[in-house]
Amino acid sequence: MTGEPLLAVERLTTYFPQGGSLWGGGGKVLRAVDDVSFSLGAGETLGLVGESGCGKSTLGRTILRLIDPTSGAIRFEGRDITQLSQAKLRPLRSRMQIIFQDPYGSLNPRMTVRAALSEALTVHGGRASAADQREALVSLVSRVGLRPEVLDRYPHEFSGGQRQRIGIARALAVRPRFIVADEPVSALDLSIQAQIINLLMDLQEELKLSYLFIAHDLKVVEHMSQRIAVMYLGRIVELMPRARLATHTLHPYTQALRSAVPQMDPAKRRLRVLLSGDLPSPLAPPPGCSFHPRCPIAQRGLCDTKRPELRELAEGHFVACHLAG
Amino acid sequence: MTQPKPLLAVRDLRTAFDTAQGSVFAVDGVSFELAAGGTLGVVGESGSGKSVTALSILRLLPAVTGRIVSGEILWQGRDILKLPEREVRALRGKSISMVFQEPMTSLNPVYSVARQIGEVLQLHERMSRAEARARSIELLKVVGIPSPEKRVDSYPHELSGGMRQRVMIAMSIACRPQLLIADEPTTALDVTIQAQILELLARLRSELGMAVLLITHDLGVVAEFAEEVLVMYAGTVVERAKVSELFDRPLHPYTQGLLASAPSAQSGKRRLSTIEGVVPNLAELPAGCRFRERCSQAIAQCALAEPPLTPLPSGRKVACFVAVAKLQAGAP
Repeated sequence: MTGEPLLAVERLTTYFPQGGSLWGGGGKVLRAVDDVSFSLGAGETLGLVGESGCGKSTLGRTILRLIDPTSGAIRFEGRDITQLSQAKLRPLRSRMQIIFQDPYGSLNPRMTVRAALSEALTVHGGRASAADQREALVSLVSRVGLRPEVLDRYPHEFSGGQRQRIGIARALAVRPRFIVADEPVSALDLSIQAQIINLLMDLQEELKLSYLFIAHDLKVVEHMSQRIAVMYLGRIVELMPRARLATHTLHPYTQALRSAVPQMDPAKRRLRVLLSGDLPSPLAPPPGCSFHPRCPIAQRGLCDTKRPELRELAEGHFVACHLAG
Repeated sequence: MTQPKPLLAVRDLRTAFDTAQGSVFAVDGVSFELAAGGTLGVVGESGSGKSVTALSILRLLPAVTGRIVSGEILWQGRDILKLPEREVRALRGKSISMVFQEPMTSLNPVYSVARQIGEVLQLHERMSRAEARARSIELLKVVGIPSPEKRVDSYPHELSGGMRQRVMIAMSIACRPQLLIADEPTTALDVTIQAQILELLARLRSELGMAVLLITHDLGVVAEFAEEVLVMYAGTVVERAKVSELFDRPLHPYTQGLLASAPSAQSGKRRLSTIEGVVPNLAELPAGCRFRERCSQAIAQCALAEPPLTPLPSGRKVACFVAVAKLQAGAP
């Protein structure tokens, strides 16, 4: 990558204090995002994959400053936005947007699509003549594959796939450069999922968007992304170019994750690395490498005491494992 | 060789729901058979009628809005639909049991694990409380719950999603059922936990010799777990085949489209193939084939009549005029 990346995240940490007394102290700390660094180029998609509770959604929301980080830095378009006040963030908000898993929850049920999208256009775009506004709305909905008639309907009148298209239209209304897509297709049926994936990829090409694409489905992430980051208990354990995922994964967790995905094609089935046990609680992450209690190759005296840092083992391929490579 | 008598035979089942738009048939003429010890996967997207089929078998439809309109559900030759409620209750949880997608909603939050599994054993096996408790601990061990002696006194909220599903499975196999109906049993679970649960179900299936009806939207899960597959669309069965045949060579245009739209099916290709449009509203079904409006292969005949599920010489079945005509013409 040349020049300044669109987004750079440095040692970002988001802790949530739990319980304890009102005046602090005594409570535990949930380390939702723990020392995460990466960057994202213009027009690039970084896939962020991990199981529930790994912190991937919190990371996405922290980057957008919807949640306050505990430490670390977020640089967007070369500017440090970690400490910006919400007022100063507002003009930036039009360039960074989010798409949710369930757009139903993010659309006001009493607002027509027209009202919802007009609001987004005016809040961030300033005033326009009524005719221009109408034209902008029609072009916006047709860009996401909907007919202009949908503008006068309410969210409940749409199917899941159509609602996701409206969610995407609303994010696009403000002409963003960067979109956090948080499980945008996981609530959709397979045939509709493919339609939305195609739409997101077409829009990216047309509008030179950058995506942080968050999902638990490895196959979807692999299809969408140029690079893939795997998260486990708040940390990135592996970060690699897409091509390496199919052939050269290095972290035992990534390998287990990959082998656990049920395959349609018997030729693609591999020996399953069955992980024992559940994800440990992020309130009390295991010492050393947080994956060691479930890891098939963990070494006593090393993995249970010393935390592995991300190291670059091949070009652009980082892994946090003492035993990899 | 004579065909073994099926354990379960569903014949022309039609199940209706009352909606604001009037009565709609969520299941509309579904027939299939399942042999003892067999595994049949039912795949389909939301609204295909796969879960309603499962609920109909045990007569568990919501009492007010749902009803079985016609058809037969033959359990070892006896029609479940004609049995008095008391006899159906004796079947449920004993000969036929069920595992659902979200164990939290099917477990009672205020009862301990011991009490919930114990209840099944006390009811169907007439065990004493102490016997039931001891057997519950054994069952937890069978489904791979660590320190079962302690866990048996836990409440559902104290368990992780994967552990809860294991408890549900322990409950469902408590009376050694001949048929387990598993409705999206791993959909709410993470993929590494899903792998554990599928492994467990496969082990129990062979140890207990039980038949499994697996309902899922996940083609990968069906491919790995089932022997045969039923593909459902808008309340009807569109295709039935052995797993290997189906994934090797899907015959129905809907199945073809579904398999092709999976991201893993097309590595290297940027655009995914899609099925245009959306599933039709059951209250406004098109005339003829229900898939016609989304089908790229549709011909005039498809608008005139609904294609029947047609048996083929290979033993497969497909409900598509075009596919049947192609096969008759000897097309590859």
